[in-house]
Amino acid sequence: MNFSEIQIIEEDEIFKGSKSKYVWLFGGIFVFLCFLAMHYSTYISFLFPISEGIPYSLISYIVVLSIGPFIILITSFDIVSSEIETGSVRYIISKVHRSSFILGKFFFLFLVFISASTGIALISLIYQYSEGNAFQLTNIVLFWIFSSLYLGCFISIFLFISTLSVNNKISFTMSIIFLGILIFFFLQGHDNYLRYLTPFYYGAKNIDLITGFPVGAGYLKVFESLFSMFLYMLVFLSMSLLAIKRRDL
Amino acid sequence: MGQNGAGKTTTIKLLSGLSTPAKGQIFVEGMDLSSESGKIKQILGLVPQDSGFYDERTALSHMVYYGRLKCLSKKESLEQSRVLLDQVGLGNEMFKKVGYFSHGMKTRLGIAQALLNDPKVLILDEPTNGLDPVGIRQIRQILRECNNEGITIFLSSHNLLEIQEICTHVGILNKGKLIAESTIEKIRHLESNGVITIGVYNLSYEMISLIENMEFVVKTELKAEHTLEIFVNSRTDVKPEINRLIVESGGHVFKLIENSLSLEDAFFDATGIKL
Repeated sequence: MNFSEIQIIEEDEIFKGSKSKYVWLFGGIFVFLCFLAMHYSTYISFLFPISEGIPYSLISYIVVLSIGPFIILITSFDIVSSEIETGSVRYIISKVHRSSFILGKFFFLFLVFISASTGIALISLIYQYSEGNAFQLTNIVLFWIFSSLYLGCFISIFLFISTLSVNNKISFTMSIIFLGILIFFFLQGHDNYLRYLTPFYYGAKNIDLITGFPVGAGYLKVFESLFSMFLYMLVFLSMSLLAIKRRDL
Repeated sequence: MGQNGAGKTTTIKLLSGLSTPAKGQIFVEGMDLSSESGKIKQILGLVPQDSGFYDERTALSHMVYYGRLKCLSKKESLEQSRVLLDQVGLGNEMFKKVGYFSHGMKTRLGIAQALLNDPKVLILDEPTNGLDPVGIRQIRQILRECNNEGITIFLSSHNLLEIQEICTHVGILNKGKLIAESTIEKIRHLESNGVITIGVYNLSYEMISLIENMEFVVKTELKAEHTLEIFVNSRTDVKPEINRLIVESGGHVFKLIENSLSLEDAFFDATGIKL
C-alpha cells in the first residue's frame, strides 16, 4: 500500500466523478430528498414526540438510513467492474499496487458521500436556526459522523461486490440481490441474530443517540456503535482487497 | 511465440502483475516479483492486448494520469507525455478524445503510456494484432527506436513473420510450456539447419532408406512422386554426398536445392504440430 498511489487514484476518480452526470444527479437527489423531508417536517412532526422543536437532524438521518443505500448502489456498483470490463484496470494495476487501487476508489466514494452528509447537516443547521430551535450542534455532529460511517459500510459492500464481477450488469444484479438480502435480514426483527450482519441494524441503533447527546453510559453506546460500523467497513474492505488480489485481470 | 491458447498472454499477465502465479518465482532485472513488485512496476512498461482507455478522456489526459501513477510529478508527467506522444506520431492528436482514435492510434498511445518514466523493459501483448500494413510498419519502427535507446522489448505474437522481422531472441510456448528458447538463428536450427529438396526420376523406398541412414540426416519427407525433402543437421555442404549416394544407387537426379529453415518451419518442428 502506498499513500501517494491511493491519492492519485482518488484524485483521478474525483476528476472523472466531477464530470459524471450520474454522480451529480444522484448526489443531488440524495441531498434534495433530505431537504424536502426537512422542509415538510411540520407535517410529520407527530412521528417524533420530542418537546424541543422539530428534530431536523433526526429527520435527515432517517432519510439517509432509508435512501442512502440505494443511492450508493447506483453510484458505486460498477466502480471496479467497469474498469475490468473495459480493460483499463490493466494499465493501472501494471503501475500501482492493487490495494492502492481499491482504497483510492473507496476514499473517492467515501469523500462524495461525506460531502453529501455535510451538505445535509448544513441544511439541517440552517433550518434549526431559521425555525428558532435551540442550537443543536452536537446532534448535527453526531448525525454527520453516524451517517458518514453508515454510508461507508454500504460503499465497502458495493465495492466488494464490484470487485467480484467482470461485467457491470452482473455487478448491478448482485448488488440488488445483496441489498435485498440485507433488508430481509434486518426485517427479521430484534430477536434474530441475522440483524448483526446488516448495517441497517447499526444505523438504526443510532437513532436514539441522534435525538439527544449522550451522557454518562451513553458515551459507551456511541463508541460501541462507531466501532461496530468501522469494523463492518473494515471487513468488507479487506474482502475487496482479498478478492482483487486473487483476480486474474 | 505460440499458438492461440499456448500461454502467451498468461505469461505477460504474470510478468506485469495482472495475474498471480500459483507456484514458481518471477524475476525481472534480478528482482523477485512477489517481494519487490512496486520496484518492478516502476521499471516495466506494459501494452496490453486490448486498449482499455477511457473513451471520454484525451490522449494527453491519459498520459498525465499514467505518468503520475509512475511516480512522476504533474509537471514532469506533462512534459514527458508531450515528448512521447510526438515520438509515437500522436503529437497532433493529444487533445483528441480517445473514443475517436483508430485501433492503430490506440496501440501507439498504449506504447507511449508504457514508455513513461523511462522503463527498462517494455512488454507488449500481440501489439500488431488487427492493424493494417501501415500500422504494423509504424509500430515496428517505434519498437526498433525504443530498442536502440536501450529498452528491452518483450513481445508476444503468433505472427511468425513479425517475430522474424524484429526479434533477436525467441521462446516457443506450447500448451503452457516453454519448449524452446534461444536466438532466432539457433531456434531456426533447433532440429535441423537446412532442408535439401531433391528431385529423382526413379526414386525408390530403398533409396530413401539409404538417405535416412546418413549421419547428418534428421528426417525426410516425400513431397511428390519424384521429390524428397531431406532435413539435415550439418555445418558443411552435404549436397555432393547425397548426390553421390543416389547416383551410386542408380538414381537420376534432376534437381538438388538447399533451403535454410524459416522460423515457421522451426516452430512446427519444435511444437510437433502436423497439419
